[in-house]
Amino acid sequence: MPDTLARGKRAEHRSAAPTREADLPFAFLTLLLLAVGVIMVLSASFASAYYDVQGETGHDPAYFFTRQAIFAVGGIGVMYGASRVPMAVYRRFSGALMIGALLSLAAVLLAGTVVNGARRWISLGFTTFQPSEITKIAIILYFSTLICKYRDRMRTFRYGIAPFAAILAAAAVLLVLEPHFSATIIVLMIGAAMLFLGGVRLYWFIGGAAALGVGGILAVSLVPYVADRVASFRDPFSDLTGDGWQIVQSLYAIGSGGLAGLGLGQSRQKYLYLPEEHNDFIFSVVCEELGFIGAVLILVLFALLILRGYDLAIHAADRYSFLVGSGITTMLALQVILNVAVCTGLVPCTGISLPFFSYGGTALMIQMAECGIILSLSREIPAAPERAGQKSMI
Amino acid sequence: MSQLSQDHPNRSMLRRALFLMTACGIVAFIILAVQLFRLQILRHDELESAALDQQLRRTAVSAGRGTIFDRNGRILAMSATSWTVFLSPAEIAMYGEYPGLIADALSEILGTDRERLLALAGDRRSWYKTVARQVGEDEIATIRAFKNEHGIQGVKIEPGTRRWYPCSTLAAHVIGFVGTDNTGLAGVEYTRNEALTGKDGSILRLKNSVGTDMLFAGFEDYVDARNGYDVHLTIDSGIQFFLEKHLAQAVKDYHIQNGAAGILMDPRTGAVLAMASLDNFDLNHYQRVSDDVLEEIRRCGDSDKAAELLSAAQQAQWRNKAISDTYEPGSTFKILTLAMALEEGVVNTGSSFFCGGSMSVQGRGKPLRCWKHAGHGSQTLTQAVQHSCNVAFAAIGLRLGEETFYRYCEAFGFFRASEDPDASLTGKTGIALPGESGSIWWSRTVFCDPENLSQLAAASFGQTFNITPLQLITAVSACCNGGFLMKPYVVDRLTDGDGDVVEKAEPIPVRQVLSASTSAAVNAILEQVVCDTTQGTGKNAYVAGYRVAGKTGTSEKVAQDAAGGDKEYIVSFIGYAPADDPQVVCLVLMDTPANDTGIYISGGQMAAPVVGKILSDVLPYLGVMPRYTEKEQAYLDRAVPSLAGLELPAAEKLLREAGLSARVVGEGGSVTAQLPGEGTVVAAGTTVILYAGAEISPDTETVPDLSGMPYSRARDALGSLGLFLRSDSTILADSDTVKVAFQSIPPGTAAGHGTVVEVTLTNIDDAIYGKY
Repeated sequence: MPDTLARGKRAEHRSAAPTREADLPFAFLTLLLLAVGVIMVLSASFASAYYDVQGETGHDPAYFFTRQAIFAVGGIGVMYGASRVPMAVYRRFSGALMIGALLSLAAVLLAGTVVNGARRWISLGFTTFQPSEITKIAIILYFSTLICKYRDRMRTFRYGIAPFAAILAAAAVLLVLEPHFSATIIVLMIGAAMLFLGGVRLYWFIGGAAALGVGGILAVSLVPYVADRVASFRDPFSDLTGDGWQIVQSLYAIGSGGLAGLGLGQSRQKYLYLPEEHNDFIFSVVCEELGFIGAVLILVLFALLILRGYDLAIHAADRYSFLVGSGITTMLALQVILNVAVCTGLVPCTGISLPFFSYGGTALMIQMAECGIILSLSREIPAAPERAGQKSMI
Repeated sequence: MSQLSQDHPNRSMLRRALFLMTACGIVAFIILAVQLFRLQILRHDELESAALDQQLRRTAVSAGRGTIFDRNGRILAMSATSWTVFLSPAEIAMYGEYPGLIADALSEILGTDRERLLALAGDRRSWYKTVARQVGEDEIATIRAFKNEHGIQGVKIEPGTRRWYPCSTLAAHVIGFVGTDNTGLAGVEYTRNEALTGKDGSILRLKNSVGTDMLFAGFEDYVDARNGYDVHLTIDSGIQFFLEKHLAQAVKDYHIQNGAAGILMDPRTGAVLAMASLDNFDLNHYQRVSDDVLEEIRRCGDSDKAAELLSAAQQAQWRNKAISDTYEPGSTFKILTLAMALEEGVVNTGSSFFCGGSMSVQGRGKPLRCWKHAGHGSQTLTQAVQHSCNVAFAAIGLRLGEETFYRYCEAFGFFRASEDPDASLTGKTGIALPGESGSIWWSRTVFCDPENLSQLAAASFGQTFNITPLQLITAVSACCNGGFLMKPYVVDRLTDGDGDVVEKAEPIPVRQVLSASTSAAVNAILEQVVCDTTQGTGKNAYVAGYRVAGKTGTSEKVAQDAAGGDKEYIVSFIGYAPADDPQVVCLVLMDTPANDTGIYISGGQMAAPVVGKILSDVLPYLGVMPRYTEKEQAYLDRAVPSLAGLELPAAEKLLREAGLSARVVGEGGSVTAQLPGEGTVVAAGTTVILYAGAEISPDTETVPDLSGMPYSRARDALGSLGLFLRSDSTILADSDTVKVAFQSIPPGTAAGHGTVVEVTLTNIDDAIYGKY
């Protein structure tokens, strides 16, 4: 094939890329989930906001909703902005972001705000943010960069395992020190997913799973906090006033929903029975109010978003975009799956928030930025004839 | 090209991405959807009901306890609002309130121990820790102010009810009382507890986990409370008051050791108009015992012993002797023997009996002795009753025969027949009061043994069996009301909140035992027991202006006798009036009068005057007006007319017409002053002092001891000192055997001229002293 042709194709490719529209189905699904999520924050939170259990809302029922809505609007802007940033820029700054994330994880241990006995938040004056959220996206962006750099050497220990393991170990240790086990788990799972995508030999995962199993058993038997959670997971009804309370209340809420639900706003469990009803357990309120039908519908929306995310990643213009897109989608999927699994009592209570639904400004902004990155890579998908003709997976 | 291919993910990476896509985008979501299906569809009912269990709070709406009224609508028991103060330690913790502040305030307002309050507040999982019950309005207002001032949520106030008895001790044993949970424990409060309680309602509401209502929750379910019914008793608090007043006075006068009981009944219906048992107690403080007992408890020191003493004293004061204590009725039972004999025709008013002081009875080792050992000689039927002659009544019983006598006793309700001839027999009236004891009767085999008539002979004058006072008055009512045994009752009707009658008691004639003519004959004979001032053993029950019939009773307490101590007696009298149309029957019995009163221990001397006084108050109260005979009018106490300013002759004439005489002091021609003053009631024949210009002496006189003096002598003894006499008795001082028993002003007291001494009279006829 003549060089000119190839050059011409590439030129055509390059010149097409910036003008191409972001992927509309993905953007639409994101905004739809965001809208439903914000409404559910209002429904789930107004009771506790009214009662002002923590003494922060001033008995304003719309307290959480107002803030979440503002962050959502801001989040849409962030998503758009992130979608306009070329993927090459993310790649160039990924190293700096990784260093910054690790530094902030260290900083939070020194200067973080203590809530419920854990140092997880850094105050920026006008708002607070969790370095763990930055760490997750930093790992995706930086691991993608490394994987692209090491390419075939990923199958060796020295390049394919050691640097990644070092970063993950550093992040995990810092997170455990906070302590923040749910973030630790997510970070490790994302790291593992990136390595899996990056081509690391499969036996490492078998070994890693075995190591995790041993570590898990050790954690359960040695760390009382973990042991309690697992015990209450195994039989939540045995201790209704202790750790089992959360799971039992969540199951009550979900079970009460039935097929069609009690109706939007009609949850009873949110009246101070269900803890974290607008955070970790917001999906339980969704199930109670919208029923099996509504809950499955929302799961389908999430599934569609995730499938579209992978689809875009697979069709991405280059390896880096593929890795970043798959990584972000996997992270999104893991958070949704783990959150719903916790709410429905499938896995022990961990404290993972539900993307787009759980109340929390910085987490929402970062999730929107992540979606913006996927939209950015979708802009760069080459409109090659063979690709255009290929049937979309969605 | 190579750069392009280098830049793309390789096949293995795409495969792995597809694997993740399938796992995270499809498989995991299917698992989640299946789990949701299990929870929301398969376990929906189970989880929803568990959730509702915690979300729904049932708030009890307590039904108001019904009011208890007497027959005239006077309130005897009612419920008043009281308040319960409690802590909600969970809310104290939740709202970050200071237990110290709360403890300080509550300990100051309620006097509760501060440490105890802190301990209560420390139980952070609790929503309800009672601090104090039955808190008054003032304290509640202060607590409310405190709560508002500091915005305290953890201190709660809850309305409740407290039972209130406006008449405190009146009819205490009939009304009864409730415990702290408002459940009846005694009296009508106990027997009609269900009707009085009503039915609690409830409100089922969705609550948040803090226990307050959910916002915007539409679900509420009400079950209305039904207030308890009001209970209207047959008790007339006026009559009850008269009974208790005279009974209490008698207990004091005669030094009664073991309490007393009294019942008034309408014989026509069986309605109990009054029922008293002494000692009584204040229903508002039913656990309080008398100061004497408290003193004894304080002295004994040992805490177990003290608790025992207290409990025994409480049980004793709560015991309704009128229905719970059985006794040998003694001579009052002769009314029934008389009635049976007249009904059966074995005696008539022309029958005569001879009493030589004793008689022999088949099967009885010793001869049966009359209370009058010298014997009553020959006597008519009426005289035998008047004399209360045991020999005559034993003879009447023998004439009746054991089978007939036995049948009548069953008919009068003293026991219920049994299939088993060897079983000891017992019976009750079935009145709606707790604690009614059953009678104690011989088995049929023992009583109806033709070889041994000693039981029959003794039973004929009321000995060798035990019955309750209520059984006696019920049976005697049958003798005087035309022959019908009425079922006694105390609850007339129940009404609901609107005043509509829910339940009405109709008089229940259990059976007719006697014919109307027999009843009339009994009434005529028993009237002679009271009105015959020479031979009647019941003459101390005489009430001037009324026709009172009755019979005395003095029963020896067999158990005490057997124990070898002093003989103890229960003195009693049962009387009714008017004798030609009985409207009220009154039974009074007093357990163990002391020997130190100087009054002969017998029903005729002690119980009869009490019944006379009660009837003299009750009959006018019931609208039965007195009709005095001329003879009665001559002996009645009378009011001194107004004499001031009259010429002396005119004044003396006026006094003469009033049945009084005059003594003039001074030289003037007209009355300037008089002693006693106008309207003062004094004994007939009193000498009124007319002052004609002279001053009334300011000197005081020493009141003499009048006891044992005939009324006229007492009058004159006082008159010579410028003091005057009046009687509070119902009997007439028409004979010198009517003597002063008690005087209102003790001997030796200094009294000014013109002071009136009130005395209680008793007809003390040595000739008829005896345990009749």
